[in-house]
Amino acid sequence: MKRKMWAVLTTLAVFFACLVTFNLSATPAKAETTYTIGTDVTFPPFEFANKQNKYVGIDMDLIRAIAKNQRFKVKIKPVGFNAAVQSVQSGQLDGVIAGMSITKEREATFDFSKPYFTSGVVMAVAKNSKITKLSQLKGKKVAVKTGTSGADYANSIKNKYGFKVVTFDDSNNMYEDVMTGNSAACFEDSPVMRYGIKQGTKLKIVTKPAENGSYGFAVEKGHNQKLLKSFNKGLANLKANGQYKKITEKYLGKDASKDTDSTSDNSFFGLIKQNKSALWSGFKETLWLTVVSIIFATIFGVLVGLMGVFPNKFLNGLSTTLIYIFRGLPLLVLALFIYTGIPSLTGQKIPAFVAGIITLMFNEGAYIAAFVKGGINAVDTGQMEAARSLGLPFGRAMRKVILPQGIRIMVPSFINQFIITLKDTSILSIIGILELTQTGKIIIARNLQGFKVWTIIAIIYLVVITLLTWLSNWVQKRSKL
Amino acid sequence: MSTRLKVTDLVKTYGDNEVLKGINLEVQNNEVVVIIGPSGSGKSTLLRTLNKLEAPTSGSIVIDGYDIADPKTDINKVRENIGMVFQHFNLFNNMTVGENIMLAPTELKKSDKTAAEKQAKQLLATVGLEEKFDARVQSLSGGQEQRVAIARALAMNPDIMLFDEPTSALDPEMVGDVLEVMKTLAKQGMTMVVVTHEMGFAKEVADRVIFVDDGNIQEQGTPEEIFDHPKHPRLQDFLNKVLNV
Repeated sequence: MKRKMWAVLTTLAVFFACLVTFNLSATPAKAETTYTIGTDVTFPPFEFANKQNKYVGIDMDLIRAIAKNQRFKVKIKPVGFNAAVQSVQSGQLDGVIAGMSITKEREATFDFSKPYFTSGVVMAVAKNSKITKLSQLKGKKVAVKTGTSGADYANSIKNKYGFKVVTFDDSNNMYEDVMTGNSAACFEDSPVMRYGIKQGTKLKIVTKPAENGSYGFAVEKGHNQKLLKSFNKGLANLKANGQYKKITEKYLGKDASKDTDSTSDNSFFGLIKQNKSALWSGFKETLWLTVVSIIFATIFGVLVGLMGVFPNKFLNGLSTTLIYIFRGLPLLVLALFIYTGIPSLTGQKIPAFVAGIITLMFNEGAYIAAFVKGGINAVDTGQMEAARSLGLPFGRAMRKVILPQGIRIMVPSFINQFIITLKDTSILSIIGILELTQTGKIIIARNLQGFKVWTIIAIIYLVVITLLTWLSNWVQKRSKL
Repeated sequence: MSTRLKVTDLVKTYGDNEVLKGINLEVQNNEVVVIIGPSGSGKSTLLRTLNKLEAPTSGSIVIDGYDIADPKTDINKVRENIGMVFQHFNLFNNMTVGENIMLAPTELKKSDKTAAEKQAKQLLATVGLEEKFDARVQSLSGGQEQRVAIARALAMNPDIMLFDEPTSALDPEMVGDVLEVMKTLAKQGMTMVVVTHEMGFAKEVADRVIFVDDGNIQEQGTPEEIFDHPKHPRLQDFLNKVLNV
């Protein structure tokens, strides 16, 4: 019995060792000067993916031009504003350029470059709205995007003008809320708002830029000072040679319309055709995430489930605790904790994909463990007693008599869990994994066609889930379980 | 006659509940011992401690020279020589009749597959079910299931057999077949400990009858002594209840 226990523990240990090794080897080797820079997913005109799925925008063009000028390399990670900021704090990323306003509060934790863009917050309302002044907002709702200076501004004046603030995670949802009339207005940086309106967002700007602020490139306080210096030097060079002007005019100037989707076919099939390659790679990433995490979650879940029925108090307790913790944590919290929390504890970076797999392994694995335990416990205790009374050791009685009966009970739960895992991969978009949901967010950030794009994404999920269900039923029949 | 099984000062408690309160019992080779007593008296618990399905709280149980209360004893080895038959048969639902019987001999390397199959068929013949070798467990009646369970317990060639109320879950017309198989075993000289409510079987087959009540052996003796001249008032009371229905 003891030997079996050791076998289980050793397997677990090897498993975790593999994860750690995978993690280490996946960390990019520190080339001379390659910096990993985080940015937002949906902040046009500063950063957004174009039709070729390449990141462009004022920030993107600027950081690439500065890198070229100062002879270093950049790797862009569009993980979202909040994740980018946290990842810089935890050392996961070297710097962040994401239309980030320089504030006193932020200067406490970040070192900022010289300002590279000056902006101000404007108020926008629906095209047919009669609101033109802040004082007309009394008792109404106002939409903002989380973490922006527009949000700070709205919060600073909400008591004075008596409105309520509703917070959104990306621009498109914020605009939609104003267009549908749920919110009376939104606050956003003027270049962002101007670009959005050029893209066909049915809003109008009604105030002059307020709370003029400056955007800066940020690194963790006291770290990456060489990068910061290069940025400042490069910025000065670009301003001197006219390149800076070219970049900003490209997105905000008269020829800004050239880079828009205004001539695009925004019909349902037009959207599919245009975004074929982005959707396809998002789909592949979702499938890959699902398959890999199902394998790991099944291994983890079965081990923890078996630990729960092993005649050993310590293993039973460990099993119950693991299930309690990982079933109790919201998937979103777990993903953010593993991706941004663990590195700040260990100082070891984790690639988003690996963090995603670990997250799903623990979360889905906990559910699997619970029904593995339940399935085994559902087998009549007389079966185990009869096997043991013949002289079969616990492990062999388990394998020959209990598990074959327990697995039959578990199969429907397994199929169910696989489908849930597939759907849960969408939550990993929060840590910037370019799976189907994140792909959808990016496409919408560019073309602002929320309804149609989400319909396409939803259909793709349904098709995959249908195929997965058929496959499971076929396997179930074939194996005569 | 030599001693096959010796129980000394056996105590079993569940929390505060003392189910067995210091049992002393010896079973000789080829002896058939029948344990009777009211429900809740501890007779099933006593039987289940004999192959450590219930771990004794204190005391010793020595079978073939091994003390199974001692944690150092390899209980799996000792169990190979103890056959056990359950009230609810407990046939393995994921196997055929033949596989049920062959599992232990093949898994524990007592015999190869062909030998195990030959032996299983012989055992099925002795319980009158040779045609059921390939049958699924679910297709059997209760009486057939219990006879297969006896064949399964015999497959390891045990030198003692424990029966835990083997006929209590059966329809009345099935009881006879199972008792017949048990009588044949007894005649062949198998050492048996049987917990049962079948007083007829006890009278006919038992060498010794043990009356257990309140966690203790209250009285024991030959069937004549127990059934015709009961001394203990509780035994008299018990017999009154079960015989004069």
